[in-house]
Amino acid sequence: MVKPASTTTATGKDLGAVRAAQSESPGLFGVAGLSSVIRALLPFVVAILAWWAIWAVLDPPEIILVSPASVFGSFIDSIAEGALPTFIARSLARLGIGTLIAIGLGVPMGWLLGLDEDVAQAAEPIMRFFNAVSGIAWLPAMIIWFGFTETTIQAVIVYTMLFPVAFNAMIGVRTIPKRYRDACRTMGAGTLRIIRDVYMPGSFPSVMTGLRLGIGFGWRALIAGEFVVGTTAGGGLGFFIFDARTQGVIGKVMAGMIVLGVLWLLMDRLILRPIEETINVKWGAVSA
Amino acid sequence: MTTISAASPPIGRTVKKWLLPAVPFAILVALWGLAVLLFDPPVGVLPSPALVFEAPFNSDPYLANVGASVQRLILGFLVAASTGVVVGVAAGLSKPIAEFLGPLTTFMNALSGIAWIPLAVAWFGPGTGMVVFIVWNAAFFLVFGNTMLGVRLVPDVLQNGLLTLGASRMDVIRQVIVPGAMPYIMSGLRSGLGFGWRAVIAAELVGASLGLGAWIFEQQEFSRMDNIMAGALTIGVIGMVMDRWLLAPLERRTIERWGMVGSAS
Repeated sequence: MVKPASTTTATGKDLGAVRAAQSESPGLFGVAGLSSVIRALLPFVVAILAWWAIWAVLDPPEIILVSPASVFGSFIDSIAEGALPTFIARSLARLGIGTLIAIGLGVPMGWLLGLDEDVAQAAEPIMRFFNAVSGIAWLPAMIIWFGFTETTIQAVIVYTMLFPVAFNAMIGVRTIPKRYRDACRTMGAGTLRIIRDVYMPGSFPSVMTGLRLGIGFGWRALIAGEFVVGTTAGGGLGFFIFDARTQGVIGKVMAGMIVLGVLWLLMDRLILRPIEETINVKWGAVSA
Repeated sequence: MTTISAASPPIGRTVKKWLLPAVPFAILVALWGLAVLLFDPPVGVLPSPALVFEAPFNSDPYLANVGASVQRLILGFLVAASTGVVVGVAAGLSKPIAEFLGPLTTFMNALSGIAWIPLAVAWFGPGTGMVVFIVWNAAFFLVFGNTMLGVRLVPDVLQNGLLTLGASRMDVIRQVIVPGAMPYIMSGLRSGLGFGWRAVIAAELVGASLGLGAWIFEQQEFSRMDNIMAGALTIGVIGMVMDRWLLAPLERRTIERWGMVGSAS
């Protein structure tokens, strides 16, 4: 029997936990008004000031640390050159395509495996195993198979996201209370009807958990992939910071990192969280 | 697989529990072997299962590389766990501080680990110091964020109860706050180790000459697919063993023991 909560939620919950930590304080894009915006931005202002102070006091060489102003300058330069916008678009496109493929393959796969308890039980360890062999670990093999190409980066992202998504889709189906299925069956629903009206919607919250976990891993796999393969595969944000380090321009490295962080926050607040909330409001009761 | 389920419960179930998960692995290895037999691909593209399983025994640097990676992981993770828990508890004790640090923690979490590799190479140069820093970085913010949250979620009434009975601040921290936050601390540690292990591999891939990540990347230049696959599978085995046999049981026990702090004992 696939254990319902203890296994997946463990991985899902911790991310949720960190998330809940922020919801205590007003979100970056909270609607609660100006004061909450200021309160949300204040920590960042203080952090930047602290960084500035450290830089001013230590006066480190330029290849170790530069001032916030200099990072901002690098940021503006990179935008003006056009490299940064292109790379941002490229990385986001890779992540978007990877996400779509991982959902397209992983969710049906998880649903199918989840239909039968024995199959789910048999599939669990192998999926855990391939999840543990991270996409990053396959990078050298992918390079041999696909060369230093776009395909390699894309394959690494899809691989990385596939297992968390499929696994949680499977767990989602397995943890739907059997009485829902039985109730539908009693009222004359066929297997297809049950899949459509019970299993699919019932597993949405769990699929979302998997997706969030998958995007977290996939985002990092993307960056690692672009470090290694980006030179010949048309750049990307990972390539941008990696290349900036090679050139010894720390301002660009840090600008790229900040862009990575901001992009993640934007994705989280503008895409992931709204979807998650909709799902939880609409279908969340099933998992309770 | 349905035929197995007909077996009688007690012994049958144990056999099933161990046999069933082995089936997909067996099928996969069989298909892999068959594909190699049928299509006879170059060894540099897809070696046979046998070659891959032999690779660790034929390759001298295998153990040294595994050792280097695991050592870096343990070192970085221990530092991350201790600093994360201590700083997390301290920050969580104060609501304003926790609220202040919340958004910063999310931000740092969003780019923790792998994104720091180029900067870490600039700071520490390639090698162990850099990799350990990356592991610390990948795990710290998860441990810290979860610890802080766990501390914040310990009901005040429990703390006040102890204070009323004459406990000192230290007693409250030791006997209420830390145990109360333990389930969150554990899940922070567990995902921290998962992200940490991936970060080790990525860091070694681009900035080390020893370690599993460095080894498989170097083997790619020689098209030694047997070594690459052996290395990748080793990474999976180590990651899975740590998670399933070390941290998952620890986490389960913690939740069983302290997880219900809020409601029943």
